[in-house]
Amino acid sequence: MSALAHLHRPATIEEAVRLLAAGDGERVRLLAGGATLVAMMNAELVDPAELVSLAAIAELRGIRALADGGLRIGAMTRHRETAAEARLAGAAAVLREAAARIANPVVRNMGTIGGSIAFADPAADYPPALVAADAAVEIAGRRGRRQVPAREFFVDWFATALAPGEMVTAVLLAPPAPGRGSYDKLCRVSGDFAIASVALSVAWRDGACERVGLAVGGCGPRPLHLDEADALLRSGRLGEAAARRAGELLAAAADPLEDVRASAAYRRRVIPRMVERAVAQARAQLEANR
Amino acid sequence: MRMEGTFEVGAPRERVWRCITDPTLMVACIPGCEEIAPVDARRYRARVLVEVGPVKARFNLVVEVVEELPFERVASVTRGEEGTRASILSAENMVILAEIGPALTEVRYSSDVSVTGRLAKYGLGMMKKRVDRLGVEFAERFRERIAAGATSA
Ligand SMILES: Cc1cc2nc3c(=O)[nH]c(=O)nc-3n(C[C@H](O)[C@H](O)[C@H](O)COP(=O)(O)OP(=O)(O)OC[C@H]3O[C@@H](n4cnc5c(N)ncnc54)[C@H](O)[C@@H]3O)c2cc1C
Repeated sequence: MSALAHLHRPATIEEAVRLLAAGDGERVRLLAGGATLVAMMNAELVDPAELVSLAAIAELRGIRALADGGLRIGAMTRHRETAAEARLAGAAAVLREAAARIANPVVRNMGTIGGSIAFADPAADYPPALVAADAAVEIAGRRGRRQVPAREFFVDWFATALAPGEMVTAVLLAPPAPGRGSYDKLCRVSGDFAIASVALSVAWRDGACERVGLAVGGCGPRPLHLDEADALLRSGRLGEAAARRAGELLAAAADPLEDVRASAAYRRRVIPRMVERAVAQARAQLEANR
Repeated sequence: MRMEGTFEVGAPRERVWRCITDPTLMVACIPGCEEIAPVDARRYRARVLVEVGPVKARFNLVVEVVEELPFERVASVTRGEEGTRASILSAENMVILAEIGPALTEVRYSSDVSVTGRLAKYGLGMMKKRVDRLGVEFAERFRERIAAGATSA
């Protein structure tokens, strides 16, 4: 291991972006919760000369309501805060449930939503939840801010729509709608990364589905999502046949890894079962509400 | 970790052979390859950049041709390491060319790669997916080069 990295503590996003742009993507790195980055430094996977801590930037902290009733989750919001956020209800509860299933209390106290999605581990819990909820990611760079739908943000294994020199500043959610959001994670032991996960976000009104978002995690380079599966579930009113077909479609589209957690074939097999279970639970709640 | 694949190229076998044994053309086709220079009649030195998420690894490799049957097959071994970071890579590679038609050649490649050191800490499952994709990218670039050469010739 080389000498200790120099630590910057900018107070604004603009200053952080300026410091980041001075590097080449390797020499200067952003430090959020450090749960992943510090472990990678210890393992000598990365060896930055300068770290830009995001801890002193007030704008990145906390969850607040937007003028339109939507929610803005600052990049430095810890998993623990997101897991306890009461406004993440109805269809948006998928995000709260995903946050609650990340690792263990220690990691949830450290890790941030910005760090998690920027790292884009294919087995991480936020990515499928954000895709299911159809959230947007706010990004800052030298040329200002832009927004990217979560469905386009995750690009590949550990790769996102972030260009060199850009950072995540927030996750944006539409105004919470009545409905159900659920996150189911299959893992070897509690607190482990997912073998496979299913995120479901359903918004309903007067007993009819208005919007359905379904995404599978841990089974490909990026969260698995098909417009066709969403449409089937919506038009099929979360029915059994629609759930079965959606599960089949997603399993066929999956590109799972073979790793220490499970074989690729096993992952393909559990997808339909997890999808059917999540949809059945949503259906039961929809019918009870009628 | 074994990687293998097959692709077809719309060119005569002899021409494909000349291309796969041409270092400058190979640099342009191998994803992440920054440099290839001959060391002697059987050996090349190559520098290859491998990127996985936030991790970048630059390997200094020596490729040695161990068996060559012109127009048909070439077997080589690759050995090398990352500059200062103690990841060691070794591979046994084979490329076989088969004539399918007067202007159609099948390229079959396989490589048994082993990586030890810091990069091995990354899941091997994902590495294999990455490497498989590099194979596809290589085939695309190689075909493009041959097609471009064919029109200018
Ligand atoms: C033991 C353990 C178990 C875990 N289990 C799980 C799990 O089950 N599920 C799960 O989802 N995750 C899990 N994680 C990952 C955890 O959620 C991390 O907190 C998260 O991946 C990284 O967040 P961080 O804030 O710590 O980021 P850091 O470690 O500080 O940074 C991670 C990477 O993102 C970059 N970065 C940080 N913030 C930004 C930003 N705002 N914009 C752009 N780039 C940025 C950094 O430069 C770095 O490359 C686990 C981690 C550990 C250590």
